[in-house]
Amino acid sequence: LWETVTSSFASFIHAVRPEHLSKTVRQRSKRMILDSIGVGLVGSTTSSPECPSLSQELYSSVAVSSVYGKPGIKLSPTLAAFTNGVATHSMDFDDTWHPATHPSGAVLPALLAASQMLPPSTKPNGMDFLLAFNVGLEVQGRLMHFSTEAHDIPKRFHPPSVVGTMGSAAATAKLLSLSTAQCGHALGIAASLAGAPMANAATQAKPLHIGNATRLGLEAALLAARGMEANPLILDDIPGCSGFSAFYSVYQPKPLSTPSDHHEFLLEKQDIAFKRFPAHLGMHWVVDAALSVRNLFINYAGSFSPSLIRTIVLKIPVSKYINRPFPSSEHQARHSFQFNACTALLDGEVGLSSFTESSIHRQEVRELLDKVVVEHPEDNVANFDKMYGEVALLLHSGDVLTGKCDTFYGHWRKPLSKESLLKKFRSNASHVLPEEKIEAIITMVDNLENLSDSSQLACKSWGIIWKLVPQKELCLDIF
Amino acid sequence: MGWILPELKTITGNFANVIHGLNANHLTDQVIQRSKRMILDTLGVGLLGTSTEVCHKVTQYSKIYSSDISSTIWGHLDFRLPPLYAAFVNGVAVHSMDFDDTWHPATHPSGAVLPAVIALSEAFPQKKKISGLDLLLAFNVGIEVQGRLLRFSSEARNIPKRFHPPTVVGTMGSAAACAKLLALDQLKCKNALAIAASYAGAPLANAATQTKPLHVGNAAKHGLEAACLASQGLQGNKQILDMESGIGAFYTDYNPQALPTLQSYPWLLDQQDVAIKRFPAHLGTHWVADAASSVRRKLVESSDNFLPLDKIEKVILKVPEVKYVNRPSPTSEHEARHSFQFVACSALLDGSMSVQSFTSENIHRPALQELLSKTQLEHPPDNKPSFESLYCEVHVTIQDGNPISDRCDTFYGHWRKPLKKEDLEKKFQSNASSVLPAEATEGILETVYNLEKVEDCSVLSTFLSGQSASVLSEKLRFL
Repeated sequence: LWETVTSSFASFIHAVRPEHLSKTVRQRSKRMILDSIGVGLVGSTTSSPECPSLSQELYSSVAVSSVYGKPGIKLSPTLAAFTNGVATHSMDFDDTWHPATHPSGAVLPALLAASQMLPPSTKPNGMDFLLAFNVGLEVQGRLMHFSTEAHDIPKRFHPPSVVGTMGSAAATAKLLSLSTAQCGHALGIAASLAGAPMANAATQAKPLHIGNATRLGLEAALLAARGMEANPLILDDIPGCSGFSAFYSVYQPKPLSTPSDHHEFLLEKQDIAFKRFPAHLGMHWVVDAALSVRNLFINYAGSFSPSLIRTIVLKIPVSKYINRPFPSSEHQARHSFQFNACTALLDGEVGLSSFTESSIHRQEVRELLDKVVVEHPEDNVANFDKMYGEVALLLHSGDVLTGKCDTFYGHWRKPLSKESLLKKFRSNASHVLPEEKIEAIITMVDNLENLSDSSQLACKSWGIIWKLVPQKELCLDIF
Repeated sequence: MGWILPELKTITGNFANVIHGLNANHLTDQVIQRSKRMILDTLGVGLLGTSTEVCHKVTQYSKIYSSDISSTIWGHLDFRLPPLYAAFVNGVAVHSMDFDDTWHPATHPSGAVLPAVIALSEAFPQKKKISGLDLLLAFNVGIEVQGRLLRFSSEARNIPKRFHPPTVVGTMGSAAACAKLLALDQLKCKNALAIAASYAGAPLANAATQTKPLHVGNAAKHGLEAACLASQGLQGNKQILDMESGIGAFYTDYNPQALPTLQSYPWLLDQQDVAIKRFPAHLGTHWVADAASSVRRKLVESSDNFLPLDKIEKVILKVPEVKYVNRPSPTSEHEARHSFQFVACSALLDGSMSVQSFTSENIHRPALQELLSKTQLEHPPDNKPSFESLYCEVHVTIQDGNPISDRCDTFYGHWRKPLKKEDLEKKFQSNASSVLPAEATEGILETVYNLEKVEDCSVLSTFLSGQSASVLSEKLRFL
């Protein structure tokens, strides 16, 4: 029976079971869930999501879903997903995978919202939730393997807006237990909602990419649940009439094997990178290199003395949207090799406060930025698996000090320890949640497989008591 | 940072200036006349479309969200929706049967704009009245921006293959139109365009499926959302139209140009009219229908006034190569509307095409199926896939008789042979009366015909909901 690529994906989403999740995959995905929640919580404090107030103005609705860290605000499920997705990516603090995308922010908010939508009698348990989450990741990863372009840092479409939307649709379809056909249609509808150009990266609009990915994928699944139909060959190669291939110039789709006894999730072989500070992943290499050379410099000179430095040479891969000599906004600063290197040199660390308006415009930072020169060695490829960062200080004395980083701490080759991950989570969550809630979330995620009602996770994360809405007010007769 | 001057050097800034600077005085008579015809046709088509299955599904879905602020759902008095979902549902209705207008370069311009501006006009606070002229101007800004963007790529001249144009330029047009109606300043107009770009772009593969109408619904809705977010101060890339990684991401060749100066502004609609469809199917099939109808007349004349069906041996259609309209045996209404073969055989059988041609019974009738089995396509090299230049020849070979053929270069309804006023009205009446009472359809006709003089355009929405005449006669006041 010749199966199309699209139907193989639909079958996979429909047929995969919790038993298929290996221990490694469960463990890794729970780390991702925890980090994503923390990052969303701290992100909810940024000015970037004017969205909650906007959403409230435009639709104060029959609200059942709440928003990260904002007690008193309730939104419709897709708008809650939207707002939480925006919060997750608002500071560029969320996880990154290889091939490149931000997988969790596109999936988790949709699932949290969907879990709150379902009537009490059919609440998904923690295992269902974890499975759906992994389906969302797996679909994203598999789609990225359809194109060699996806292996490099993107230039045209922002990957979360392409594969993230599809992952969200797949995950939601799984959580809602849609039929195989409906899973296929969810993917088809989602494709028509995918794809945002790169140009909005490093602007305030970038977080919308994740917000929309998670929300529109959720919508696609909801529409499919209502019987909406799309092209059943959306993932296949259709010459003369593009489907999902529209987003790539080279596209070679491959079917997914139906999970029989054993399905190897991509997460098994390829872990995720967690960020240590809120900036584009590429910055993490130069920061670690800068910190290393800073130590050498302090040993050399006794203290960090910028006046001794003539030139700062950065050896980085070619990637236009993260090469910014003089960033003027927080969004630009998070996407600037130069800024991150200089901040690390100056302060000995890079953190949340490095990107405030005052920090960005500090005189000392500007002076260092003036000394920066950028080089693009041929062997430094724009690829998160292969790139490196090198920072060289050319001193007036003629001496040269160098620091190089191949693998920063937090990269999948050198994953954050459990303590470091929890430290990041606690630090983030403490901006909006009290300690008991923070610890409760940690425990809940750690024991996710044993949770009987996964909508509890949403309640805790969003910091308020969820009020039950009478069922007939929710048009959720999707079964 | 102080006062930021509009960047006249960038195309994006230039667009923002024009969107902001165009006013009613710039509208020429021809533009006013043509755009009112488009508005009328779009309303009729949308009203008829509310009865489709796809529209029922999106309505049910959208009802998940109720709101305090709400806008009219065309053809419905029984419920309202938040402006974004009203724009969505009405936009889906407009494109649900592929009955809406088409322009050159190819897109469906009105469906992406009109639902958004009408929904938005209802969302203003009571004290702020939007006049018919405001609406007409905003509508034309939305059309103009689409046309200008389509001229940035030579790919756009031909019938599309990769991205469905309404989802690319339609979203941008909707954003521009809504920005105009909201009277946003230049900076916010720029941001509206930038944010909209991150929602743009759906692959063509969902054409000829139930999801296709969502392309226009989403274009309207997302453009409106982008304008609202910009109005709230959200910022995007201020060079979104200039960069290849901006709107350029949707094209393989992209050459943006600045708009003409505002002094006696040359609207594209002045130079290039739209095509209005006479039956609900892909524009390419209209050439086929006219040629086939003409061949049928000749056949009947030469056979003692009846159609010699069983004597027909072969039907050859000489059409341009357009993969997604090449369907030898369509099984759904959506496929039938995108099938050269189906329309040719229907027109041969019935003499003309109508809304009824696409019912399930008619799609599956044996006589039609038989004729389809005898039908083939040919693609002469001189038949280019462009709505400006394509033609269709229908060749029928009969047993014991001479072959009969005819050719259509310009179908009635094409911009080279526009529908007469009576026929446009007839189409509108036929469509609208399927959902609205006579007073409402008359009211819409009168309002649209006099749109530039209407004091308060909310009267249009009232008619669209089908509200009773007595309420309306006092509302319909002209300046």
